[in-house]
Amino acid sequence: MSRATVELDFFGMEKANSSKSQFQKFIDRRRSIRGIQGAISKMNPELIKSVISSGSTNRTPVDWRKSFSVPSSPKEDRSSPVPSLPILNPALRSNSSDDGTETAPLTIFYNGTVSVFNVSRDKAESIFKLAVEGSSKNVESADSSKVANPSSDQQNLLESRNGDLPIARRKSLQRFLEKRKERLTCVSPYAW
Amino acid sequence: MEERRTAPFNTGMPDAVLKCVLPYLDGPRDRASISLVCRRWYELDSASRKHITIAFCYTTTADRLGRRFPAVESLKVKGKPRAAMYDLIPDDWGGYVRPWVQEVAANLDRLRWLHFRRMIVRDSDLEVLARSRGGVLRALKLDKCSGFSTDGLFHIGSMCRELRTLCLEESSIVELDGQWLHEIAMNNSILETLNFYRTDLVQVSFEDLERIARNCCNLTSVKISNCEILDLVGFFRAAAVLEEFCGGSFNNEQSDRYNAVTFPPKLCRLGLGSHRMPSVFPFASLLNKLDLLYALLDTEDHCLLIQRCPNLEILETRTVIGDRGLEVLAQSCKKLKRLRIERGSGNVSVSHRGLTVLAQGCLALEYLAVYVSDITNASLESIGTYSKNLCDFRLALLDREETITDFPLDNGVRALLRGCEKLRRLALYLRPGVLTDVGLGYIGRYSPNVRWMFLGYVGSSDTGLFEFSKGCPSLQKLEMMGCCFSERALAHAALQLPSLRYLWVQGYQTSSQSSDDLLAMARPCRNIELIPARRVITTDQVEEAVVLEHPAQILAYCSLAGPRTDFPETVISLDPVL
Repeated sequence: MSRATVELDFFGMEKANSSKSQFQKFIDRRRSIRGIQGAISKMNPELIKSVISSGSTNRTPVDWRKSFSVPSSPKEDRSSPVPSLPILNPALRSNSSDDGTETAPLTIFYNGTVSVFNVSRDKAESIFKLAVEGSSKNVESADSSKVANPSSDQQNLLESRNGDLPIARRKSLQRFLEKRKERLTCVSPYAW
Repeated sequence: MEERRTAPFNTGMPDAVLKCVLPYLDGPRDRASISLVCRRWYELDSASRKHITIAFCYTTTADRLGRRFPAVESLKVKGKPRAAMYDLIPDDWGGYVRPWVQEVAANLDRLRWLHFRRMIVRDSDLEVLARSRGGVLRALKLDKCSGFSTDGLFHIGSMCRELRTLCLEESSIVELDGQWLHEIAMNNSILETLNFYRTDLVQVSFEDLERIARNCCNLTSVKISNCEILDLVGFFRAAAVLEEFCGGSFNNEQSDRYNAVTFPPKLCRLGLGSHRMPSVFPFASLLNKLDLLYALLDTEDHCLLIQRCPNLEILETRTVIGDRGLEVLAQSCKKLKRLRIERGSGNVSVSHRGLTVLAQGCLALEYLAVYVSDITNASLESIGTYSKNLCDFRLALLDREETITDFPLDNGVRALLRGCEKLRRLALYLRPGVLTDVGLGYIGRYSPNVRWMFLGYVGSSDTGLFEFSKGCPSLQKLEMMGCCFSERALAHAALQLPSLRYLWVQGYQTSSQSSDDLLAMARPCRNIELIPARRVITTDQVEEAVVLEHPAQILAYCSLAGPRTDFPETVISLDPVL
């Protein structure tokens, strides 16, 4: 036989729930980290800024559901727990204070840019919650669709599909549109 | 008495009579039925079947084909899943033509027409084909194929002198030179169809095209890549019976020079990459097919052109046509049969407004594929009411608008399915919440004749898929994206759907617990393959890395050939652990 079946235990067929293989744990960890990163990277930057700025002006949380739609990531599995996110805010953890009003730098890597904000612990936690909720949005919308609720839930029901893949275009057409864009930018005398 | 007991099943019809009747029955379903009657009829069918389509190359093997249908004259084999056209399948996924070419070369003496779609072709395969069947091959179509270069085509050009049709549309070909076309120009005088549209072959010389036009007096269809139109004046003059032309580019600054270009008199199928169409106006009324996918027209240009084309039957364009263009289409083109509106990159969009008007105006519509920014139940109902000839309906909802006017679309989809009784193919690419589980159940219940479906982001839970799989009696091929369904539900559906023989899913609820869920659909003669989630890094036009997270894919299909043996690293076969 030129190629035997590869025994990758993706579905944990041979092992019980508790004793996951190293590889399976690796996959899970990668998936959950990637998921969180993925969710944060897809958040609207205005949303992030507004949440943070509303924290510094007044304490009432912005009802982000009404004003923005957070993209969902359809493939996230429900069972991934909220991780401690060491990647995002090492500074904040070391600065823990009881009253929560002390601000500390929160560094966000988004879309190739780095932003640093000084936020209180409470605000930072609500941002993290948003990110996790953004990644598990799909679970919620499945439940909320059962409730016959009009316009206020419209935004929730109609999540855009930007989870993992943008709506695909045929390769040949994509190439044509890219070439046309190139040509148009080249034509302009001010194109660099 | 004795004879009747021992003789084989006797239909009372001598072979000679059956052999006279069989040539008139060439539809694949009729032939399949004939072959099931009795062994004798099976043998007669095998000996006389002229055309075979292998809908998926891994369902059987090339030598089985050769053993059963040694006299086959026309063969079409398809490889990679349709998603390959949208860059969702690894390039080296598979679908190699080699075993098929080897069978053709060794055993299929009567083969004259060969068509490979979405497969991997090597130069050596083309050489083998040219050497073995070059003397008799009449048509070769390498449609959306990849893996070969112009050197392979050189063999075809130099040895296949009986070729009437050469089609390379949308294939990825490594271009080394333009010699292949020169070979055709020097050796072939009977070419009727030449097609290298949507390829990147640019080193072809227009003199060779002109030579072909002069030598081949039956040249009726030529579709090329980007050759400057002003260089083709001689070609157009020589191609006296040309009916179809697509391609070419309009790069010259002095645009009035294009007014001097005269097109052949019988031209009725046209596709130009131009931003101006006045040179087309004089014969626009003759046009029955128009390809504006690569044209640079805006909405107004569309309207001006379309209203001059009363005989238009086929139109392909981008969303720039807008709702207004659809209104003009509905008023002017009453014979319209096929309309495809691809997603453009501008701000103009098509919506339910345009679709409603279109359905009411173009009653002959058989094929409708459209990307919309907004859709309503009422517009889908109109399609159900008016488009009684619709066989193929494909709708994709763009992300442009945050909300759509009217959802869920359950009732509209039901009305469409109940109204369009001839529907055979259906695609709905929506968003979560737009089609609920109830709507998905409607699709199951009201699509008795649909053989192929593509469903994206439909339903909201496994219940929807359970309901769906209670129906769809004719569904043979199912493709799904962005599902919220669990592996258990998918396996259940695969077992329930009575006609299903091919299932492709990307994006589903992978189970994190130990389960044999997916393997529940395992059966003898059924292969299950998995492409795990992967990260694809490409560069966009500004040389920035674009990272795309591709969710896992499942491909399950019936096969007589057993599991594949030519997997790349990205594909995993799920064999049940017995």
